[in-house]
Amino acid sequence: MNRSADQTEANPLREGLSARAVPQPCSVVIFGATGDLTHRKLLPALYNLAADGELPPAVTVIGFARRPKNDDGFRTEMEEAVKKFSRQAVRDEIWNTFSQSIFYHQSDFADESGFKTLAERLDKVDKERGTRGNRLFYFAVGPEEFEPILKHLKAAGLNKAREGSWARVIMEKPFGRDLASACELNRLVEKSFSEEQTYRIDHFLGKETAQNILVLRFANAIFAPLWNRRYMDHIQITAAETLGVESRGGYYETAGALRDMVQNHLLQLLCLVAMEAPTDLSADSIRDEKVKVVRSLRHFTVDHVAANVVRAQYAEGAINGQPVPAYRKEEKVDPKSMTDTFVALRLHIDNWRFWSVPVYMRVGKRLPKSATEISIHFKKAPMVLFNRETNEANVLVIRIQPDEGISLRIQAKMPGASFRIEPVKMDFHYGTSFGKASPEAYERLLLDAMSGDATLFARRDEVEEAWAFIDTIENAWSAKKNAPDLYFYPAGSWGPDEADELLARDGRAWRRL
Amino acid sequence: MAAETFSLGQSVELNAISRELKKLWQEGEGAMTRASLINLAIYSEKPDSLEKNTQLIARITEDHACRALVIGANPKSKENRVEAWINAHCHVGRAGGKQVCSEQISFLLEGPCIKFLPSIVFSHLDSDLPLYLWWQDDFPKEMDPQLWTWVDRLIFDSRDWKDFDAQMRLVETAEQEARQRIVLCDLNWTRLDKVRYAIAQFFDHPASHHHFAKMENITVNFASGFKSTAILLIGWLAAQLKWKTNQQQMNGSCRFLDANGRKIDIELREKAGDPIAEVVLNSRDIKFRVAPAKCGDLLEVSRSGENEAALPQMMPAQSNDPVDLMTQELLRGGPHRVYLHAIESVRGLLSRGDSPNRH
Repeated sequence: MNRSADQTEANPLREGLSARAVPQPCSVVIFGATGDLTHRKLLPALYNLAADGELPPAVTVIGFARRPKNDDGFRTEMEEAVKKFSRQAVRDEIWNTFSQSIFYHQSDFADESGFKTLAERLDKVDKERGTRGNRLFYFAVGPEEFEPILKHLKAAGLNKAREGSWARVIMEKPFGRDLASACELNRLVEKSFSEEQTYRIDHFLGKETAQNILVLRFANAIFAPLWNRRYMDHIQITAAETLGVESRGGYYETAGALRDMVQNHLLQLLCLVAMEAPTDLSADSIRDEKVKVVRSLRHFTVDHVAANVVRAQYAEGAINGQPVPAYRKEEKVDPKSMTDTFVALRLHIDNWRFWSVPVYMRVGKRLPKSATEISIHFKKAPMVLFNRETNEANVLVIRIQPDEGISLRIQAKMPGASFRIEPVKMDFHYGTSFGKASPEAYERLLLDAMSGDATLFARRDEVEEAWAFIDTIENAWSAKKNAPDLYFYPAGSWGPDEADELLARDGRAWRRL
Repeated sequence: MAAETFSLGQSVELNAISRELKKLWQEGEGAMTRASLINLAIYSEKPDSLEKNTQLIARITEDHACRALVIGANPKSKENRVEAWINAHCHVGRAGGKQVCSEQISFLLEGPCIKFLPSIVFSHLDSDLPLYLWWQDDFPKEMDPQLWTWVDRLIFDSRDWKDFDAQMRLVETAEQEARQRIVLCDLNWTRLDKVRYAIAQFFDHPASHHHFAKMENITVNFASGFKSTAILLIGWLAAQLKWKTNQQQMNGSCRFLDANGRKIDIELREKAGDPIAEVVLNSRDIKFRVAPAKCGDLLEVSRSGENEAALPQMMPAQSNDPVDLMTQELLRGGPHRVYLHAIESVRGLLSRGDSPNRH
């Protein structure tokens, strides 16, 4: 959203051509180049950017991984991946030139010499391809690999850029598994890269609809007066998926839904919904406001966790008419696992604007449908005149995925002689109104990192504040005495009854998706 | 996705258009969703324009949902004739499921009744949506100022103009008469979008900006009929890099002076091929080249120098197809200040018999 700080001298020929910060030529070094993320997301995203003319021609991709492979072998592998996962068909003319910018660097992450040869290779690329000493290091690896990579990047001098150039690092989640490990990880990163150089990715923020939350709130005057405790009754955020843990059982056992989804994606969405208007669109102005929301979350005491948080795990059931096994029977999962695959929470934002507006969140696997949405439930109209018999509230829904869009539920008079009132929906669908497909989140985020725009990346204090909040819940769950129960729900249902009761106690119900 | 129909649709009485449109949507309820982001009015005096523009609208609405008002006019006719048709262009949306439909109202206006054009347009606008007027002919000297007060974006193709200066004056007068600011959208300028993008990216890094001060000569090869496009491209470079005309065009060449009085020689050469068949910018030590790739819909961009091997890369090219030009124009939005500056830089060249039809 903002212009990069390092673009001190604007290109006069760009005036009127680009409404966004322009990405700089650079080398993108991907650690974990043979992994799933590189195949499914990163290379397809880079290809799509190249095909759309968004990528500076000099951009060079260097895959860094342990497996023995040469440049040609890596290119062939990437071509297959891009053909399989790209949102647009692969064209030979584009691939042939784009693939010439892809290289492979074989080394163990623990091998210091591999980083020295990487530095030499990057210097060579700078000279041959005009990448001008700009380097973007993408950590598409597990957090256990961060330390050796960071250490060796520093030893090879790759953490510092030449004058007029930059070095940046993009880190994938999970960024820690609690506050202590996140702080430790941040300290580790800080030894090699400054906060300005560090881009913690949360792909939810790269989604068009997530970005549109700010536009909806701050480019439309009608919502601002309603966006507070006086008019809002409550907020719901749902992230549901039909998938189970698939092949990620090993990872999921160490994480669970609360760490995997709530700590990052859902709290980020809440921040966008609840933040105050930033002073400008710079990365830090926006992130300053977001972090205030997380800081304002009322922390639970151990006793309050059971009353405000419901954890559950899916049991055997059916999705789309197909039987699916219980979580405990999934591959690499402990048969006595206590891991949460579903969480429902009642949160309170203790600030002037949202005091007494509860936020209900639910996230789960093996739910009946896949959908992520935020709904703002407004207070009901007085029960006089038209609302004596039925009294539905106005609901503003922001659909993040799929079928991205916004809808507003209002009351309307049914045709006829009597005053019968029914709710109707005013509905905006991105796919209907705009023919152009939205870019993938990774495309946007890679481009932002190349442009030096950190707006859509999480800052250190945001991550740590989020973990501080999550820790209070995790600590209660892991307590030896009086730990809140783990409930079970059949796969294909909307979670345990206790999740419904969480709202029913307040006289509310989950929105039907 | 292919459009379903190119016919003008159902003939309707002028005073029954709204009613008939309502019926059309009632018939398709459930399976169709009406979508509209803009009012797009197209005006043409060419005899077969209604059918041709219906075909264009069918394709444009795949990407840009709108209410289309297609007007075919024959002001020379002595007899008054007004006919209207309604139609819908439906496409399966990206998410599948329901068809997304845009409505089209077509008008045939003949004779003196052409003066009712503003009232016909105004009474059929989709409320609260901006009005884009695509004027496909030369602008007449007498235009109803009422029309301009409603137009948000005026789309035209200056390549088709026989007298650039006179036409531009009419547009500017219209703009002055309008109570609101009209954004001028020249498809001849849109034609240059991707080439400009390809040239601009050479200079994104501040370390490459010194080449601006070392620019020695520029060659632009253009296809027959696209000289004005090539001149506009030069106008853009001149405006953005603060060059002033030094020597008027002679035999396809002209000269500009930069802010330090340094000469930059321009050569414009007609050559078969794409509208802009090649652009070469020579700075003292580097050659920047943009040219269409053999496959046709991509640009090959490269920079090379004595100590620098050329690394050709592919970038998207702008097709000259009117639908692609319109799609690009509708996608861009925003004001076109740079265009106005570019025009100012080469107004003399564009006006002095250098218009495309006089090359």
